[in-house]
Order: sequence, then structure tokens, then C-alpha cells
Amino acid sequence: MSFIKKFIEQETVNRRNFLLASAYGLGGVAAAGVFGPGMAQAASNPTVAWSYRNRTNPYWNEIVSGGEAFMDAAGLGKDALTHLINEGSSEKSLADVKALLAKTSGNLALAIDTNDAPNCRPVVEAVAEAGGYVSTIWNKTDDLHPWDFGDNYVSHMTWSDEGPAEQTARILLEAMGGKGGVVHLGGIASNNPAIERLNGLKNALKDYPDVELLAAEPADWDTQKANQVMSAFLTRYGDEITGVHCANDTIAYGVLEALRAEGIDDMPIVSYDGNPQAVGLVDEGKILATVFTNPHWGGGITAALAYHAAIGTFKPSDEPNEHREFYGPTILITPKDAAEFKANYLDNVPTYDWTDFWGPTNGQIMYK
Amino acid sequence: MGSVLTRDVLVKWAPLLVLIVLILFFAAMEPRFFSVRNFARIGISSAPALMVAIGVTFIIIMGSIDLSMEGTVSVCAVVFAFAFIAMGGTLASFAWLALPLALLVGAAVGLLNGLVHVKLKIPSFMASLAMGFVGTGFALLLTGGDRIRVEDDLFRGLLTTRWFNFPIMCYVAVAFLLIAWFIQTRTTLGRNFYAVGGGEDLAHASGLNVNKVRILGFTLAGVFYAVGALLAVGRIGIAETATGSNFMFVSITSVVVGGTALWGGIGGVWNTLIGVLIVNVINNGMVVIGLPGYVQDGVLGVLVIAAVVLSTDRKSVTFVK
Repeated sequence: MSFIKKFIEQETVNRRNFLLASAYGLGGVAAAGVFGPGMAQAASNPTVAWSYRNRTNPYWNEIVSGGEAFMDAAGLGKDALTHLINEGSSEKSLADVKALLAKTSGNLALAIDTNDAPNCRPVVEAVAEAGGYVSTIWNKTDDLHPWDFGDNYVSHMTWSDEGPAEQTARILLEAMGGKGGVVHLGGIASNNPAIERLNGLKNALKDYPDVELLAAEPADWDTQKANQVMSAFLTRYGDEITGVHCANDTIAYGVLEALRAEGIDDMPIVSYDGNPQAVGLVDEGKILATVFTNPHWGGGITAALAYHAAIGTFKPSDEPNEHREFYGPTILITPKDAAEFKANYLDNVPTYDWTDFWGPTNGQIMYK
Repeated sequence: MGSVLTRDVLVKWAPLLVLIVLILFFAAMEPRFFSVRNFARIGISSAPALMVAIGVTFIIIMGSIDLSMEGTVSVCAVVFAFAFIAMGGTLASFAWLALPLALLVGAAVGLLNGLVHVKLKIPSFMASLAMGFVGTGFALLLTGGDRIRVEDDLFRGLLTTRWFNFPIMCYVAVAFLLIAWFIQTRTTLGRNFYAVGGGEDLAHASGLNVNKVRILGFTLAGVFYAVGALLAVGRIGIAETATGSNFMFVSITSVVVGGTALWGGIGGVWNTLIGVLIVNVINNGMVVIGLPGYVQDGVLGVLVIAAVVLSTDRKSVTFVK
């Protein structure tokens, strides 16, 4: 039966070659518009790419605009940024990265959110094996560390949401007069930030024994879903609800409209993310607090770290661990400082120094 | 009794029975469910979905399927918001023209959808799904990922102004339901949908221009998607690429749960009304009785299967594809 075995082996090799070839082809299509044909790439001229979900979401839109701002500031031009859009698919995320590695022969500086934590390892291993440089944000398993990959896995940044969410919760609970009932509308149930933001509320509630957590339901980061969940909460609890804790701004918009439909316009609400529209609502006093995580800076600095490691501006393995794994910045916005914040961060996007890699960060990541 | 309660009669009224049983069940579990204010809330969440579901009802009666609603709704919502703001930003000005414009855009997308399906001979499933993606992409191109706020008090009166405890958007939805009912029963086009769905070969052999009926059907569906988009914007005051999200699942589920058969020729807009109400009563009721979130999706799935089992006559179906 050895001929069958041989045939299978042959076919496996053929299939692998075919896959590689098609991956190469796809990468070529993706990057063709960026570089044009026949342009040689020196080792000092790496392709810079951002891999993310999509631009529909205002948060990712901000992240990518930061990446583009970095490209402009570095003199590369924002059109030179290669966009790998995974549309929420980890498989596509990994396939796109491999295709681009093949296309660039590993001369790549990659900024990426790998969509889910388990996908981070194969992405990082693929980049390291090809000799590229990668900086990740948000999703990474706890056992995966940049310092285990020498220089190639440059950095990982995430945001700890528990503390800031607790701060907003305290503002909410104070506004409620320390009594009554609060409902929480969360993100997708299994999302890490969704869990942390609810934990923040629960931590704050320990100091407010007279406030009852009436219910916590996932609203999937979605305005329309939040609108419907809030309506149902109003049926179930009615006047018992005296405050609303939202896991992010898009949820808060839906909540505000559900309340508006009932003629309620004085309900204390807090949210998270610091989207421009939410900051406006904080300024008007309709939302009591939101938290800005500066996605623009996050998107720019992640690309900057990978790029500067790739061109040798700094050597990642010479840096201490808190420069390899760190928390991103968080800024609490309340009605008091909303106008000032808006003027400083939203109306004029600040010009960042994209070589100040760690200035605004919040210390090394702690694992529980 | 035996002569009244035939199987046909049961199957015909089963969706309504399911709805009544659900309402009684949730009311028994939590009396506050059974209140006018809560019914208004269910009405608000149902109104945009009803419009989209009515649109796709016509297509399903023809035995086709339309999955372009998410893209179409997003495009209509975004175009409406841009035009509305550009022309004055309040219904009291010429900005009201943005309303018919949105309907025209919906019709245009639907027409394109129908042409791609019929002229390029692509199955409606694939053609419409692809057109939906094109729509979502186009909406994203228009907005660049931003959300557009529509804050005009007159327009938002759809949500905030109430007659007899129900906001205006509920009455608008009922008005369009009656228009759809008129189209379904009193126009040649409406009856032709049933002819095509009941037996396309027969309809074709009797001299009916099936392709024309299909294209008109998709165009009509596009108009109803546009109405759904307007109500969705009215409900949350925001037009964005994500405005169309979730409409595919809700509308198709509603149509099927209401008793309109996916193989065509059976059902109608009243079935769709019942179906939309069933889905929204379930969604609202599960939160109201306090079921944990992770149970809700599973329960919804089981209830959908139960509703379809109850409301379809399996003896008349020889095979399912």
C-alpha cells in the first residue's frame, strides 16, 4: 500500500504549495496598491500594517486614524499603511498576517489586535519565525510574553478597565445619593473588558450597601440592543431604577433613548470609552462620566513601536519588562472637565511624539 | 366543534395562539409585563423590524429569499440622515424631502438587487446576501465610520409624541402594514407574488412575466426596508453603518414564526405582524421575567422551532430543502 501513502504525501505537499501560492497572491493583491510593482524594499524600509476588526466601529476607526497619524509623522505617508481587516474572524486575521509575511519576506512591522486571545500565539510565532516585528493590543493569553521572543514580539498593550469602571460607578452611586437600585448593561458576555467593567461596578457597590444591583444584562456593545434591554428593565423595575451603569458609550446612547421614550431625562448614567458624542453628552450633563482610553494614541504608538523596533531605533530585548507589557492610558471625563477635554483631545487632535513610547502608559500588566 | 376545529383552521391560527400563550405566560410570571406601558415598549422595538419583515415577506411568498436588508437599511438610514441635515435639519423645512428620498434609495437598492438576481441569474439567496454586503460597505464609505445624529424634535416625535400611550412610530408602522395588506390582496402584483410562489412553472405557462414580478417584488421590499430604516433612526436618533445590524435575523425569524412558508405561496403580512410580535414579546419578556442573558438566546432558538412546528402544516410539505 506504499504507493497510496506516497500519493497522499505528494498531494499534501502539492496542497501546501498551492496554499502558499494563493496566500502569496492574496498578499500581493492587498499590498499592490500600496507599493506599486517592482519597488525594492531595503531591510530598513519595512512594510507597516495594522490588523483590526473594521472601521465601522468608532473605536477601531480611532485606533486606525492614530496609526495613520503616525505614518504621516514618520514621513511614510498614511497611504503606505497596509490595512488587514479581519471582520471579527481570528482565522482571517492569521491568514492575512501569513500572506503579508510571505509577500514582504518578513520585512514587516505589524500592529495587531488578534481578535481573540488564543489567536495571539500563532500570529506572534508566525511573525517571529519570518523575522518580522509585531506589537499587539488587547488580546493575549496570560502565558504569552514579548520577552520570550527576543526582539520580534516588541510589545503588548492592554487596558485595565476594572479601576476606571469602579471610579465611574462611584460617581454614579454618589449621584444616586447612595441609595436606590442600579442596572448594568454590559458588553458581549465573554469579552474581557465587559467582565472587568461589571467587576468595577461590583467593587464600588461594596461601599454602598443601600444600593441594590437590580440586574446586569449583556447588551453586546450595541445601541439598538441596549435600547431594547433598557426598555425591558423599565418594565421589570420601573421606578426602582435610580441609576444606570453602561459598559460603553454605544450602549449609553441606546439607554438614553429608551429613557427619552418614557419622558425620563434626569436618570444618572455613566459610560465608558470617551467617544466624541459621549463627551458631548457628558458636557451637557446627560452622562455623568465616561472614560477615555485614547485609542488614537494607542493605534499610533502600537504601530510606532513595531516600526521603530524593525528599523532598529531601539532594541526591545534591552528594555525592561514594563516597556514590553503595559497598560494603556485612561482619562476620566466628568461634566466639570468635559469642555476642556473636548477642546484638548477632540476638537484638535493633539500632535503626539510617536517616539515617546511609554510616557502616557500605566505600568506593567499584572496577572491575577 | 369537530367541523370548526379542523387542522387547517388550527394551522391558520396557530401563530396567534402562540402569541397569546406567550403573553399569558410572561404575564403570569411577572404581572408588570401585562401593562400598556410595556406593550408600548414592545411596540417601539417591533415597529422598525415589522417594516423590514413585511418587505421580506413579499419575497418569501414568491419562494425567493432576500438577505440584503441589513445593507439596505444602513444605506437608507445614512443617506436620509445626510440629506436631512444638509437640507435644514428639521421637518419644518425642505428637509422633509429626505423622507421620500430615503424611500427612493430603498427602491433603487431593491431594484438593483432584483436585476442582479434575475438578469444575472444568480440565486436570490446569494445575490441578495452579496448586495447586502455592498450596501454595508457603501454606508461605511459614506460615513467613514462616524455616526450621524438626527436631533430634530419634530422627527424624533416619532418616538417622543404619544397618542393613546403609543408613540407615533407605532401608528406609522400600522399604516404601512395596511398599505402592505392592500398590495397583497387588492393589486395584481400582490396576487402575482402568490402565483409565482405557488408554482412558478404554472405561472410562467399562463403567460405571467415572472421576471418582472420578481424585480418589482425586490423593489417593493427595498421601499419597506427604507421605512424600517427611517423608524430605526427615529427610535435612537442615530444613523450609522450599524443601523441595519440584526435586522436579518429578526425579520427572517419573524416571517417564518408567523407562519409564512419558506417554500413560498403561503402566508402574508398579517402572519408577519404576529411573527414580529412573537419575537419581540419573547425578547422583552425574557428580560422582564429576569432570565439570565446566556439562557435567552437558547430559549429564543427553542421557541422559534416550537413556533414553526406549531404553525406549519407538515402534511402538505413533501420535502424540506
